[in-house]
Amino acid sequence: MTTADWTVTLIFYLLGGIALIASIVAVASKRILRAAVGLAVTLACTAGFYVLLGYDFLAGVQLLVYVGGIVVLIVYAIMLTSSMEYFETRSPTQRRIIGAIVAAIFLVVTVAAFRASEFTVTAMTVPPSDIAAGVGRLLLDQSGAGYLLPFEVISLLLLASVLGGVVIARSPKAAAADASPDIHAPHGTQVEETS
Amino acid sequence: MSAAIVLLTLAERAAASLEVGIWGTAAWLAVAIVAAIGSMSLLGMALVLIERKVAARFQSRLGPMRVGPHGLFQTVADSIKLLIKEDIIPEQADRILFFLAPTFSLIATLLALVIVPVSPTLHLVDLNIGVVFFAAVSGFGVLGILLGGWSSNNKWSLLGAMRAGAQFISYELSLTLCLIVAVLFAGSLQLSEVVASQADGWWIWRGHVVTIVAFVVFIIASTAELNRPPFDLPEAESELTGGFHTEFSGLRFAFFFLAEFINMFVASALAATLFLGGWMPFQVGGWDTFNSVMAIIPGPIWFAGKVAVIIFISMWVRWTFPRLRVDQLMRLEWKFLLPIGIANVLIAAVIILSGLYFFPVGN
Repeated sequence: MTTADWTVTLIFYLLGGIALIASIVAVASKRILRAAVGLAVTLACTAGFYVLLGYDFLAGVQLLVYVGGIVVLIVYAIMLTSSMEYFETRSPTQRRIIGAIVAAIFLVVTVAAFRASEFTVTAMTVPPSDIAAGVGRLLLDQSGAGYLLPFEVISLLLLASVLGGVVIARSPKAAAADASPDIHAPHGTQVEETS
Repeated sequence: MSAAIVLLTLAERAAASLEVGIWGTAAWLAVAIVAAIGSMSLLGMALVLIERKVAARFQSRLGPMRVGPHGLFQTVADSIKLLIKEDIIPEQADRILFFLAPTFSLIATLLALVIVPVSPTLHLVDLNIGVVFFAAVSGFGVLGILLGGWSSNNKWSLLGAMRAGAQFISYELSLTLCLIVAVLFAGSLQLSEVVASQADGWWIWRGHVVTIVAFVVFIIASTAELNRPPFDLPEAESELTGGFHTEFSGLRFAFFFLAEFINMFVASALAATLFLGGWMPFQVGGWDTFNSVMAIIPGPIWFAGKVAVIIFISMWVRWTFPRLRVDQLMRLEWKFLLPIGIANVLIAAVIILSGLYFFPVGN
């Protein structure tokens, strides 16, 4: 192997090791904020793998969306909620056993699936230098091969979940006041409505 | 981590150009890292000194004068003091996160610094996604601030971190919209190509009012993201005794401080690169003699001059305006900057599609 290959292999195993440790921290840490940091590191390592594959743009977007967006929001949400629940309580033994069994089955199935299927390299293409432009053209392609409609559907889904979050977060008192406006509304507003 | 992106690029370049074996690559990497950290510390110390001198000017006093001529070595002395100070960790602090938080801030800053194009040769890593990379790594910085505020186990720190988070999430939108305008005009995410696209004229002249608006909004939003006054609510001394870095001392505090000042440099450098032509000289179409005289001045000096002007404006703002309230901060972003930014992107798209540049390309 050449030096470049060696370096890439070294960095791959380095990234893999960090990702493995960080993902264990993410699921096993009792402190919820440490778990969030583990998640951030895992996602950043995934971005590193994209770089190894030559897809810089995807790596940038991975960092931008997941580390800069999602994890920051998660940390922010943890800080906004009650800081008294600093430690997560130990889950019941029964649930832990079931979890372990499910995880073991999942591992076996995944490994079996990977071993059974043969990954053939269809083309050793060098990624184009203008990935961003390519992604943009593919996304907005109007000849039927584009991804504009799925993109819009996903935004609709996000909008729905935002609305759902607002509804859940609303205090019951405000919801009740909304549902029956004529009982709680001040007299002034009623006069305005009738006139 | 994502430092690997930069490490990989450096390593690849070293391996490709030198072919000196794995130890040669490692040595090259070590030199690059030491050089980056050294230049970062020097830059940070210089910026702190300049800030104090400019502040003194604005307040009609002299500023640091005792250490060296005109206080030139004041920040060197301050840095040594910071390095040998006792490292205090609060008893109830989350030790791992307390250690990680300043490191996150500094790593984010270092990653952003390496993509800054100073000149065609003095450009450490020329990523083809330069602009996206800048937006991506800035998320690490705010993660460091949030974790620092949380792990200190101090209510002032937590409040400061919350404010920093809210501020970052809000102003990130305006900042990204300005980046999009610049990318639309330049037609590339790669910073070297962004600079090359401004050979005939900087975008701030050629993009009608759109790029001027984008430039101004970029400066405001980046000032807010850097937590610099008048947007320094996360560390408001009079309310929060220092905010998210209240509990940090010695080297860890120095990390936060250094990250903040270098981030100011990176944001100014990016503004200069995207809107003021980076290391491109000032050129006017048709004035051949003037253009050739301007082209004599080397690129790095043009770049440094532009960055210095933007940094000076940033300091001018800092020592002129009072701190905003939280509600004013949010109103400024969501009711003014964001609508302006969205309209700006739409107008920029119309201008580019119809080719209505000033000083058209290739004349």
